[in-house]
Amino acid sequence: MKNWLAPQKLHRLNYLMDLLITLVARDLKLRYRRSVMGVAWSLLNPLAQLLVLSFVFRTILPLRIPTYTVFLFVGLLPWTWFQISLFQATDSIVGNRELIRRPGFPVSVLPVITVTSNLIHLVLAFPVLVLFMLFSGINLTSAVFVLPILVILQFALILSLAYPLATLHVTFRDTQYLLGVFLLVGFYLTPVFYDVSAIPERYQLIYRLNPMVDLVDAYRTVLIHGQLPNASSLWLMGLLIVLLLVFGHIFFMRASYQFAEEL
Amino acid sequence: MESAIVVQQLGKQFRRYHPDRPWTFQEAIVRGVRRLFPEGRFWALRGASFEVERGKMVGIIGANGAGKSTLLRLVGGVYKPDEGSVQIRGRVGALLDLGTGFHPDLTGRENILINGVISGLTRKEVFEQYESIIDFAELKDFIDNPLRTYSTGMQLRLAFAVATHIQPEILLIDEVLAVGDIAFQQKCLRRINEFKAQCCTILLVSHDPGVIRRMCDEVIWLRSGQVASHGPAEIVTAQYVDEMRAETARRTPKDRPARRIAPGVELQPGRNRLGSFEMEITDVHLLNRGGLPVEEIDSGDPLRVELEYRAPAPIENPVFLVTLTKEDGFVCHESSTQASGMILPVLQGKGKLSLQYERMDLAGGRYYVEVGVYPSNWEFTYDYHWHVYPFNVRATSNEKGVFSPPHHWELRD
Repeated sequence: MKNWLAPQKLHRLNYLMDLLITLVARDLKLRYRRSVMGVAWSLLNPLAQLLVLSFVFRTILPLRIPTYTVFLFVGLLPWTWFQISLFQATDSIVGNRELIRRPGFPVSVLPVITVTSNLIHLVLAFPVLVLFMLFSGINLTSAVFVLPILVILQFALILSLAYPLATLHVTFRDTQYLLGVFLLVGFYLTPVFYDVSAIPERYQLIYRLNPMVDLVDAYRTVLIHGQLPNASSLWLMGLLIVLLLVFGHIFFMRASYQFAEEL
Repeated sequence: MESAIVVQQLGKQFRRYHPDRPWTFQEAIVRGVRRLFPEGRFWALRGASFEVERGKMVGIIGANGAGKSTLLRLVGGVYKPDEGSVQIRGRVGALLDLGTGFHPDLTGRENILINGVISGLTRKEVFEQYESIIDFAELKDFIDNPLRTYSTGMQLRLAFAVATHIQPEILLIDEVLAVGDIAFQQKCLRRINEFKAQCCTILLVSHDPGVIRRMCDEVIWLRSGQVASHGPAEIVTAQYVDEMRAETARRTPKDRPARRIAPGVELQPGRNRLGSFEMEITDVHLLNRGGLPVEEIDSGDPLRVELEYRAPAPIENPVFLVTLTKEDGFVCHESSTQASGMILPVLQGKGKLSLQYERMDLAGGRYYVEVGVYPSNWEFTYDYHWHVYPFNVRATSNEKGVFSPPHHWELRD
């Protein structure tokens, strides 16, 4: 029985990978087709933020954090990925009406596509970050091999939030707008331009309910301090994110039968 | 034979919402949460049961809103049934919405890859079929241009080419064949027949009883969400056409005064005239070679049928139909603007339209020109005149039958 099933399952997996590759490639092609600068364009947004924020917090309101530009850059990259892909993925059902109405199309792949395309931007920005680090005299240590785990965790986190949000957006078309407000607040409640240690002890517990707090902190531990992040807190975070993802996916699949009718 | 599709007691319910249903949190707060919930439900389709054998082509016919597309989407698995079940055996290909997944800024080639993968092929499978798809779509010279430079017909060709290259075992087609030029339609029909020969099962939705009758083995007729009839194509389309006629008769205003056409001939609604009269045929002239009215021609002469119409309000893409019949109603020839590939624009006010027969190779006798004008989906009739315009054909020799092509006998030793 198992032998009989295996090639079919393998073919299905193979197909889903192809679907993902093709649609991510479409996303990227569309975004860069018209601009000659291509990939450099995707770096413009984080670099502009980097410039402004590092001017503000080094010159106007000095935070006195060593190698602040790198510190800031390491915070900005995961946050930008989180913010932009979550915002776009919320529209991934409503914005792909014709795919939803297609017989046999696996709807749950749509948010994955958005998160993946934005991950590519993150990967493309990584060499720039390494340049900044070398310039500031920070060397990569072997701890960098933990980085993929952090990326996978963040991927799962974004996806687990994107599923329910995309579902909600089908019924309430201002979900994306409201999410924009939350993300704006989230930017200040995540240690992007300041350090976690700046949060007073009595707020720490509630502050850490934001899963991006530990993630951004872990990125810094790995990249700037060249150390391994706290393993037990990673495990706990992984467990919570997996749970969140399972529930988000179930919620999404339940509602997905209605998508074709509601659009 | 094995069934490819088994549908049992299938039902699909849609929710009906208040017209002011809130679509945002903001509106929900302002207008109240009550309207978020459906006010009622209605069955778009109910109690449908049928089986389709592998390799059969089945037409689905019915008026707008009868549940044709809903049925197709249920079979394709886009909707989930509320009652009953659909069983499918084989890979499903679909031409439901035209050009879905096409992006105007990408080239034809890129769109083929994307559309092929969306339709269920792996990238490798698409690469293997690139040439064949491009050939079939007849787009070799344009394939690396962005899709926005394509005409609607070209896009349709591309969509059809991709959909038919995924080697479906079950193909669902919704009304799309109506677009595109005649030559390509013929090609599509040939391709569909090839599929049939390979034991592909096809479900075809169409408004046009003619298309359905010509192409399908069986027909399912849907009327307000229920299967009104299911059987051989000839019989079910005939039933359907009969009911459409009855519907037109019901719509025919009875208060229209009769009009005298010629001595002894009156145009009388309900007797020799049917229609809703949103568009009227006001006059019909039969003209000879010199453009003069005639009542009699020689076999083999040309004949020009000139129609004058009037449309008080704009009518979108009407279809004119001219039929030559014998006294007993036998159809000698029938032609419509649609069947000839002529798409009329929006017509309003008065105008003329003519049909030129180069040769009337009819046997001697008395014939009638029946004229009609219909909406493009043939759902009812704007105006139809039956047995009102007669003409005689003078036989050149004493022969039997309905048509008389140029001919002569020869004796050879």
